[in-house]
Amino acid sequence: MSARPHRIALVGAALLLLGTRVHGQTDYFNTDAGRPLTIEDAYALERRSIEIQGAPLRAERIRGGQYRWGIEPELSMGLFPRTQIEIGVPLVLVDQARQGTRRAGAAGIDLSVLHNLNRETSIPALAVGFGALLPAGSLGPRDPYGNAKVVMTRTFPAFRVHANAQATFGPRLSLPAGSPDPVGGNTLELSRWLAGVAVDRTLPLRSMLLAAELFARAPLVRGQPLEWNAGVGTRWQANVRWAMDAGIGRHLTGDDRGWYLTVGGAYALGWPWRPARR
Amino acid sequence: MRHMTDHSAMIPMRSIRRGISLLAALLATAALPVRAAHAQWSTVYEQFYLQAPHNWTFRTDYTHADRLFNAFDYGHAILYETLWTKPGAPASLLEERIYDRLVRGVLVRPPRNPLEEAAIEPMYARLAPEAKVMFDWAHILHRQLYDVLADERLDGAAKDREVARIIAYYKSRPDLAFSSKPKSMALMQEQPYSLAFRKTYPKFNGLIWGYHWLQIGLYEPLVTGRTREERQAGVRATVARFWQMLDDAPRHMPHQMPMTPAVAPAFAARYPEAGIIFDNLHSMHDVVSDILANPSVPRAAKRREIMRAARLFRDDSSYVMGSTAAWVRMSNHMGIENMGGPAVGFLPAMPTPSVTYGAVMTHDDRTGEMTGFRYGNATGGDHAAHGAPAAAAPAAGGAQPDHGAHAGHAMPTTGDSLARGAASLVARLLTDPVVRQRVLADSALHAAVVRAAQQLPEGERAAIHAALHADGGTHATPAARPAPAPGTPRR
Repeated sequence: MSARPHRIALVGAALLLLGTRVHGQTDYFNTDAGRPLTIEDAYALERRSIEIQGAPLRAERIRGGQYRWGIEPELSMGLFPRTQIEIGVPLVLVDQARQGTRRAGAAGIDLSVLHNLNRETSIPALAVGFGALLPAGSLGPRDPYGNAKVVMTRTFPAFRVHANAQATFGPRLSLPAGSPDPVGGNTLELSRWLAGVAVDRTLPLRSMLLAAELFARAPLVRGQPLEWNAGVGTRWQANVRWAMDAGIGRHLTGDDRGWYLTVGGAYALGWPWRPARR
Repeated sequence: MRHMTDHSAMIPMRSIRRGISLLAALLATAALPVRAAHAQWSTVYEQFYLQAPHNWTFRTDYTHADRLFNAFDYGHAILYETLWTKPGAPASLLEERIYDRLVRGVLVRPPRNPLEEAAIEPMYARLAPEAKVMFDWAHILHRQLYDVLADERLDGAAKDREVARIIAYYKSRPDLAFSSKPKSMALMQEQPYSLAFRKTYPKFNGLIWGYHWLQIGLYEPLVTGRTREERQAGVRATVARFWQMLDDAPRHMPHQMPMTPAVAPAFAARYPEAGIIFDNLHSMHDVVSDILANPSVPRAAKRREIMRAARLFRDDSSYVMGSTAAWVRMSNHMGIENMGGPAVGFLPAMPTPSVTYGAVMTHDDRTGEMTGFRYGNATGGDHAAHGAPAAAAPAAGGAQPDHGAHAGHAMPTTGDSLARGAASLVARLLTDPVVRQRVLADSALHAAVVRAAQQLPEGERAAIHAALHADGGTHATPAARPAPAPGTPRR
């Protein structure tokens, strides 16, 4: 299969990243899209930090009794004040049990930037984000897709509320009738638009976050109805270096009311620094 | 017709004027919320700590002490959140319920990981995120310095280089960094809102001062310990001393804000810039507590006051003392026995404070000399010489009476050779840092030495005071403090 060299290279890169001995402090309190919920908060990574999502796993039951397994090694960097840049390469295995086939490969290259506009006071914290999914790998999209999002976080004494709204730009897809897996990879996850809210509550002495979300998405595939999704998840600071996350969700509407499960961990370290010479 | 035309033309003109007036009024009205929104628009941001091989060494090698700092973060955060969100709550909420939860629960079983304070103080973090991030940034400096000093792979010169690098990294964020110029205590405790917290919540205030004592005190065994084992034993002893302070609170707790040159003199002498930053940090903690606790500061004005204080603590020009030596002298004049005692070389018993709880001493900012009391009074020891209670303090703007560090001391009348010999012996003994620390830690012994010194001629008396405080200066009779004009904030 043509995806094999990609797979080997990417899995190798992921293992290399995991094997590096580094020091750092991670932040369970700062949620990131997909880790574990789709809806994220309005704060970017700390400046001068690097976060490595080594091998976050996502398992999903999709249409026609198929299962999709994915890991998305991702590198996030707090390059500028209140701004994080992320690059990820989703690796996907689609298990078509009924057909008895399996397909695996890279499912594009994910690039995104999130810029926090302000820190919350009496004004909620606001952020804007932009992203792109580029064609790459055997399960990647045929065309590039772009997206833009706005994010808001509001804190209350006992919980936080996050609201996200996102629009995707790119060609819409047409599914051949009865097609169980027309494109594969991540393309089916793309939405024309997505909007939702999440609520989280922190157990500060345990360094743990509990969160729940509800969001709607308009699939990119023509003719498919609006889809409602709900999920719950947790983030936990395992030690000063690792933040772990886990979540579970379900598609509430549509013909395909599948579920998804995600488990992952993020490792943080800082950029090297030397004082400026005078 | 022409008239009509003119008239009809006037109507639109009036309408336009009215419209302009209305628009101006609307804009003026709208400007208020815009201004208010501008004041609330915060772009402060966090930064990762300096990446280095010594990261988290203290956590690994001094686990029991490191975890206490996690608990301290909880204490600070829950304090601010409670003061801000429950302004009408009885004092017992903090003094009993939350205090007991902290001392019997969180400190006994401290969290394993550094805490996210925004999760403990969510509403305070919304009120003043800039101040919160300033505190976070300084706490990172604290932890990184412990790491350097605890790293057994580094020799003395390497530690000095790393400390300099960490301080430079800290100062690379001038929007967050506390000034490394020593600030007058007036900035902390002579503001219109000052003292509200310590008066209303003496036990909790003592606990916070105890936290600050340990935070600066732990540097001392790391600096003075000659071997790994000495450093380990020293840190354990200093932590045990902290626990001793909590007995019968607030009797054994610090009665004054612990100052780095007094509690950790070797650390302050070696890294004065760090010591100054920490004293400014701890002062600012007290300031925020006072602003939140003082009902005379309206809720709508609290953010503004905190922002003002934060700005004054960051700049290098407001309330700055004359020199680093003045900062050291001021710290010593406040009395180590009033700050919980030294962090190393202490006696088994806690020192007896020589001032009333939370007393406010005034100082000459130029020299650091103590000039009197603004609140509270001396109860013994070196400060008994200051005699006059705060009620006798002059009105603002007037000259301070001369009841400074030596105002009450009788001048010697004899040059008795035996006394001189004893003085010489005492002065010589005091050159030994262990003896000096023990004398400073025991207020009765300290007072006896001072009393004996009072019987001596000026030169010998000064020699004993110089040896006693070892701050490079002598105790000259303080000059009257140049007081600011009434109501004029010093800038």
